[in-house]
Amino acid sequence: MQLKKDAQVFLSVMESNKGIIYKVANAYCKNDENRKDLIQEILVQLWLSFGKYDKQYSISTWMYRIALNVAISFYRKENSRNKINQPLPVDTLFLREEGNGFQKEADLQHLQQFIKELKEIDRAIIILYLEEKPQQEIATILGLSTTNIATRVLRIKQQLKQKFSTIKN
Amino acid sequence: MEDNEILQVWKNYDRKLEENLLLSRQNATAITALKVQSFLASMKPLKIFTIVAGVLWVGLLDVLIVSLFHIASPFFLVSAILLTILNKLAIGIYLYQLILLHQADITEPVLATQEKIARLKSSTLWVARLLFLQLPLWTTFYWNKSMLENGSMSLFITQALVTGVFIFIAVWLFINISYRNRNKKWFGFIFNGKEWSPLMKSMEVLSQLEEYKK
Repeated sequence: MQLKKDAQVFLSVMESNKGIIYKVANAYCKNDENRKDLIQEILVQLWLSFGKYDKQYSISTWMYRIALNVAISFYRKENSRNKINQPLPVDTLFLREEGNGFQKEADLQHLQQFIKELKEIDRAIIILYLEEKPQQEIATILGLSTTNIATRVLRIKQQLKQKFSTIKN
Repeated sequence: MEDNEILQVWKNYDRKLEENLLLSRQNATAITALKVQSFLASMKPLKIFTIVAGVLWVGLLDVLIVSLFHIASPFFLVSAILLTILNKLAIGIYLYQLILLHQADITEPVLATQEKIARLKSSTLWVARLLFLQLPLWTTFYWNKSMLENGSMSLFITQALVTGVFIFIAVWLFINISYRNRNKKWFGFIFNGKEWSPLMKSMEVLSQLEEYKK
């Protein structure tokens, strides 16, 4: 079953799930400029795929698949958006008082840094784990077995703990 | 830091995002009005153009081979036939890339989609290998019977050296252009530049995906 490709419905879905886009883009980009571009690219791809949304999956599963696929493929962006002559609107998704009001705690800064240091697929796994997605849903999003997910999560958590212990000492 | 503490840090982040993250409906609406292609579909035109150009080039070579078959020198014929075979293989790789582009779907599970995209990009290395393999053929096609009969020893030696060096380079590159040599200096020299970085990155993703299959 599919959704009617209605812009208003799409906007409501994006409004309710905007955190997914931001968190994925932030985990895969080194700087703000890249992040803005990636957010736009994810939104474009979500819109293009919206009419084909398959209701057998939850909206979040569908959004994570697209956001992660676009984010991991983003290094190929010179093959995509640059070749399309239509510039995209900037700042579609942004933080209120970015840089001032949104003060990050040191632990969050470290955690985000450690996540960015992980390999692309491990990054996807840990984001979904931190979002407290059930292992079955993580497996559906990524296309891995639940056993594989469980093993990977364990390993990545150990890596994160190790990194935290290094900075605390 | 313990598991629950890490989860708590993330929850706080999530809560702050919930309070501070804004979606500009105006800009988001503008996105829905854009006439743009998916990033996978946007790669198709260049592939199709390359295939068309390749087919025209190979077609021209085939016409030349057929029409000059009885009058051309064997050097020309053998060089042109090998050239056309290598180019047909390169066209085959571009066709394979088009099929992968057609199959890849970003709404599908991440690993399956990334594998297709990474294979698509990394197969470009095969095109490079085949192109280098053509090199020696450009040093032999112009030879003819008269040059063989009337040429001096110095001409033969020079030709043999040039062709020999080109064969050595072409075969060596064909064998050695691969991801395992990505950190070698010569590799960086050939694949230097921004246009190759997506290729290198996709090969890195591919090797990660292989690990997940173990």
